[in-house]
Amino acid sequence: MAKRRMPLKSTTAVLALSLAVPATAQSNEPVQVVATFSILGDMVARIGGEHVTVTMLVGPDGDAHVYQPTPAAARAVKEAALLFVNGLEFEGWIDRLVDASGFDGTRVIASEGIEPIAYDEGEDHAGHDHDGEEHAEEDHDEEEHGHHHHGAFDPHAWQSLDNALIYIDNITAALTQSDPANAAEFKRNQAAYAAEIEALDAEIRGIVAGLPRGRRTVVTSHDAFQYFGRDYGLTFLAPQGLSTESEASAQDVAHLIGQMRAEGVSAVLRREHHRFPPAGADRQRDRCNRRRHALSRCALRPRRSGTCLSGHDAPQCDDARTGAGVVR
Amino acid sequence: MLSRLTGAILVSALAIGHPARADEDATAWRLFVADHTDPTVTAIDLDVPEKRWTFEVAGPAKLYASAGGALVTAVQSDNERVDFLKSGLARDSHGDHADIEISEPEAIGSIEGPRPFHVVSHGGMVAVNFDRGGYAGILEEGLLLDGKLDERRFPMNVAHHGFVAAMGDHFVSSIASKEPVADDALPPRVGVGTFAADGMPIGSMHACTDLHGEAFSGNFLLAGCKEGVIAFDARGGPDAFTMLPYPADFPEDKTGTLLGSVSMQVFLGNYGADSVVIVDPTAEPYFTRVELPFRRVDFILDPARPQFAYIFTEDGSLHRLNMLTATIEQSTQITQPYSMDGHWRDPRPRIAVADDRLILTDPLDTSLRIISTADFAEIDRIALQGLPYNVIAVGGSGLTH
Repeated sequence: MAKRRMPLKSTTAVLALSLAVPATAQSNEPVQVVATFSILGDMVARIGGEHVTVTMLVGPDGDAHVYQPTPAAARAVKEAALLFVNGLEFEGWIDRLVDASGFDGTRVIASEGIEPIAYDEGEDHAGHDHDGEEHAEEDHDEEEHGHHHHGAFDPHAWQSLDNALIYIDNITAALTQSDPANAAEFKRNQAAYAAEIEALDAEIRGIVAGLPRGRRTVVTSHDAFQYFGRDYGLTFLAPQGLSTESEASAQDVAHLIGQMRAEGVSAVLRREHHRFPPAGADRQRDRCNRRRHALSRCALRPRRSGTCLSGHDAPQCDDARTGAGVVR
Repeated sequence: MLSRLTGAILVSALAIGHPARADEDATAWRLFVADHTDPTVTAIDLDVPEKRWTFEVAGPAKLYASAGGALVTAVQSDNERVDFLKSGLARDSHGDHADIEISEPEAIGSIEGPRPFHVVSHGGMVAVNFDRGGYAGILEEGLLLDGKLDERRFPMNVAHHGFVAAMGDHFVSSIASKEPVADDALPPRVGVGTFAADGMPIGSMHACTDLHGEAFSGNFLLAGCKEGVIAFDARGGPDAFTMLPYPADFPEDKTGTLLGSVSMQVFLGNYGADSVVIVDPTAEPYFTRVELPFRRVDFILDPARPQFAYIFTEDGSLHRLNMLTATIEQSTQITQPYSMDGHWRDPRPRIAVADDRLILTDPLDTSLRIISTADFAEIDRIALQGLPYNVIAVGGSGLTH
């Protein structure tokens, strides 16, 4: 990210928004908005500042893939003037929630204008590396792969900081249209936020540049880092697919172990998921909870540490056994 | 196996005479209706109601459909038998589209045991509680649909009128008192807990006096108790139970029947005879009570439009409840009155939902009434023999490949 850029598609999207979003708020009344998940909510809050009241449907510890809408969520959506969604079929539940709520505001697709990674392009995560496999399409056993419910594209587009700039462009345009009296402040907030993102981008590039070329493969649980990998030249391997609805099969895990050995993988990023734990796991779970932070906010440091992208929190990611950076 | 397709009653031998072409959109709904008195279950294609199949069972049945609608379970408590049927309609979601397979319904087989009652289907497992057997029969839906009646038994702490829910490798089960009871009475339910497959506790017992009624929605399993509704969070550990106490300003009563929405994390329960409660286990106030003008006969959630539930009351009226605003939006007289006085299992209407149509059994009219969910207008009436009683609807739309 040498320079700030706004792709043509994004410009088009913003122009389209300018036609679509009605002005709904007075300058002294915060705009009621809903963001579908916390990262998007953080972005909206940064741009909107005191002029927005943001309700996040999926909080920092939640999982948008398996979120279950609630009556309170439906009521919040109904009362909102703007509904910010990621798009790319990330929120598979959003249409029925909107229908149920009676929402009559404006839906803003934050990822509008990004260059999406097609699902097939990114299908080389463990268990989906079909290279060399000769089974026919009709032989593809969905049961074995755990019913991956995803769209045509990897939806985790915000993991690219280039894309994050497009997200905040779209957010700024929507807020400006909804509350034009505070457009100047939104623009200032956008510029300040963009500068932080660009600085972070430079920092990450510097970190990655310090990694030996043979040590740029990372294993994580959920395949959510294709955009990050594309932008920074890292390879991510994951036994679990694009959606956490699926479970890794034994075959997936065996394949992943083979890849890790072959490529000398030394870093494992683990994101804790909400699963029914085995008996007696409470203590371990509590330990994990204390040490948990959102992986999506964390960038890699070579060995023995982790750091966060946005400075919300900065846990030290330890390395208990392997000498690799382990982020829980 | 007494259940069988009775060809003599089969109205259309080639009911699926015009299969959809490959990759064609198809919509199909099929009703299963159990007679109140006769030992029969009748399958009816909703849009071609002359297509019917009748299955002989051992007695009057309570019907349950599995999540995808492929499996129908017919529980005959008084006859100590449970029959399983393939509905002939199987929907399978693939995220961006759904597939639907359409075939004729057929009997799979039956299991027997002492007083089967509550059935809980979850995660592809069917748990049938045998109240007087002290165990739940655990069967895998996939195997059942392959025709395999592979019943495992989960031992409960003592025989009682309760429930068991399969949660992967673990089970949530009601717990009853082990104190002696008079004659052949069953012991009172006192709590609920989490158990291993062999019945050994892996957590504590959580008090739930007079436990009755259970339902899943989203991450939660709820059960009704005298002191409130107990909520089990499936994301937590074996003791992730929380008692949601009834509000102090509620009249003295309790919830004993619960329904869970499939498309929003919300529950609807009864609360006494003439009110219902909307339950959101994640946000206070957990309960919102809605008073009904008459005593409730039956109620059901709209699976496609989670903001709506439908309630039939003894005056013969159907009501649309908005689950988000807790208001009755429409009430329309549909049938003659069906008093709730008398035996609890006297023939009274039951409701099912098939997309934008409500199906109401009308035993005294020996018919099914097909009602529009939008305005409660009667679209059609399907005449049946006997006393149509319990009804379920399975189906939907999808691609046929």
